[in-house]
Amino acid sequence: MISKFTSIQGNSREYYTLLMSLMALAGIGILTFFYIEVNGHGVTGMNNKVVWGLPHIFAISLLVMASGALNLASMATVFAHNHFKQFRRFSAFLSIALLVGGLMVLVLDLGRPERMLLTMVHMNFKSMFTWNVFLYSGFVVLCFFYLWAMMSNEKFVKLSGSAAFAGRVILTTGTGSIFGVIHAREVFHSAITAPTFIAVSLTSGTAICALLLVYTYRKTKRQLDDKLIFGMRNMLLFFTLMVFYLMAVEKFTKSYSPSFYEVETWLLTGPWAWLYWGGIVIIGLLTPLYILSHKTWGSDINGIMVAAIAAIIGEVSFVAHTLLAGQTYPFNPFPGYEVSSSFQDGSVGNYVPAMPELLLGLGGVAVAGLIYVLGIKFFRLLPKKGEAPESWTPWNP
Amino acid sequence: MTMDRRTVLGVGGAIAAGAMVAPGLRLIAAPAPKGADAGARWAMLIDVSKCGDDCTDCTTACATENNIPQIEDESRQIQYIRKITIKDKTGKKPDQSLPVLCNHCENPPCVDVCPTTASFIRPDGLVLVDKHRCIGCRYCMIACPYKARSLVYHENTTAAEQLNREVPIRAKGVVEKCSFCVHRIDKGEQPACVEACDKKSGAMLFGDINDPESEISKKLASVNSRTIRDDLGLKPHVHYTNL
Ligand code: SF4
Ligand code: SF4
Repeated sequence: MISKFTSIQGNSREYYTLLMSLMALAGIGILTFFYIEVNGHGVTGMNNKVVWGLPHIFAISLLVMASGALNLASMATVFAHNHFKQFRRFSAFLSIALLVGGLMVLVLDLGRPERMLLTMVHMNFKSMFTWNVFLYSGFVVLCFFYLWAMMSNEKFVKLSGSAAFAGRVILTTGTGSIFGVIHAREVFHSAITAPTFIAVSLTSGTAICALLLVYTYRKTKRQLDDKLIFGMRNMLLFFTLMVFYLMAVEKFTKSYSPSFYEVETWLLTGPWAWLYWGGIVIIGLLTPLYILSHKTWGSDINGIMVAAIAAIIGEVSFVAHTLLAGQTYPFNPFPGYEVSSSFQDGSVGNYVPAMPELLLGLGGVAVAGLIYVLGIKFFRLLPKKGEAPESWTPWNP
Repeated sequence: MTMDRRTVLGVGGAIAAGAMVAPGLRLIAAPAPKGADAGARWAMLIDVSKCGDDCTDCTTACATENNIPQIEDESRQIQYIRKITIKDKTGKKPDQSLPVLCNHCENPPCVDVCPTTASFIRPDGLVLVDKHRCIGCRYCMIACPYKARSLVYHENTTAAEQLNREVPIRAKGVVEKCSFCVHRIDKGEQPACVEACDKKSGAMLFGDINDPESEISKKLASVNSRTIRDDLGLKPHVHYTNL
């Protein structure tokens, strides 16, 4: 059923414009990195209360999305959902692209990025960060292995694909655990943080795959059977419900515990609550759920695209809300007392992201984009025609 | 134009594999810390009733001793020790003012999360940061429940003759915090804040709690004291009395 894999031509004016724009953006990102490196983090909007700002939001969003992007491949290899077999290469490659973009931002935002290798020399295995260094690099290796198997040695596909699938689950658990294990921060500390990160990675990863597939096939004037996108719509719908469910369970559990009242009230009504209600609930959850289950919009490719974009906005809002609400929460070493000091104890942390942070983050997105755009030109990642079997009719709203 | 995909994938995979395996090959232990007395356990006892509302002698002494530049932006000012005012929510107790500093926890979460072991605990219980090893990831700042750490946002431009040469100057991009004035402890002296406080109110007592004969051990045994957030189980080494 799969038509031959081909690379795209990539010699249109539009292609080069896109390539140049991405290169320019990546270049600006690199220059911004040097600017921060020379001047110190004083040029960012971060302070001693909010130490992980916009670059972390970009980085973590990309990493979470990267792990979700592999889902399409896993559907075929692990869950034998054969209609998506034709997108396995695309899916694994996109995972690598997003991961590299995200890691780049993460590393370049360190206070001392030139010492990054130290993490390999002086390892602390108690640190979630150390684990993540292994998890991220391990995931890239698994994706490469998987890609290689798909392209040259079908025998290893099942093995490599299953390993990559396990890898991604562990990876996102690791990312979520960076927050989940922090005992000292009421906002972060939770066993459900990691599973929620996984669910969010599934929504955003599926969304980015759907978007890029439709976009790529349209721009290269190739054919893509709508049924395939409908299948992905159903996945997105399911994953969005999963996020909804996990978030609801968390809120429900915490509302039973008086010790969480204060922090939960802060999350839902504090200065970053707009990210929660607007970004996560309305745009990230309700909008996709509504569109995707709508009789006409849900069966319209453009409608599905809008829902996918909303899901991605929802993911970024989720990461941003976790980080910013978590860090700006009034710090109180004396529960039961009101505290104040010149070091922002007891007061709401303020944070206004600065331009260099935005440019650095966008640089990472551009690098991920560049890898993808070059990848589809130089490798045979996508079938010329995206086909679905006649007999298959995905559920329709 | 097409590239041999196998070559590219192979090279990419090899690089990635190298990056993954390399860490395991290079497990070099941290150099043994010099000058630490493994039998000692340094701790502090602060009598809050003696601490003046607007006295900042300890914080000032600390800044001078440890080469901490004073900058305009409060949110980025480095603070090893800070004065906190606490107000009882029920209004039953009067407001109190007290210093808060790194607690040199026995189970320090900052050390647990540090990926490069730049944050480490000496045998005598001092929790220190190796400024040459810190990559500035700020994870320790997120993990410390006492907000005892600061990131250096700007280069220190203090004139050389005003600097204390015994204390390293931290360059931008690393994290730093109170060391209990380790350089003084190693010479048998008291931390700068304790010395400054002694001249005024004597609210701070510093010493070795492993030594039953030390003043702090005796005092801790005879007064009611508590630590901050002891619910977290970190066993902090800064004790408060009359709180
Ligand atoms: S107070 Fe904070 S910085 Fe000091 S040892 Fe404890 S966790 Fe680490
Ligand atoms: S900022 Fe420095 S000391 Fe803190 S966890 Fe990272 S490497 Fe360790």
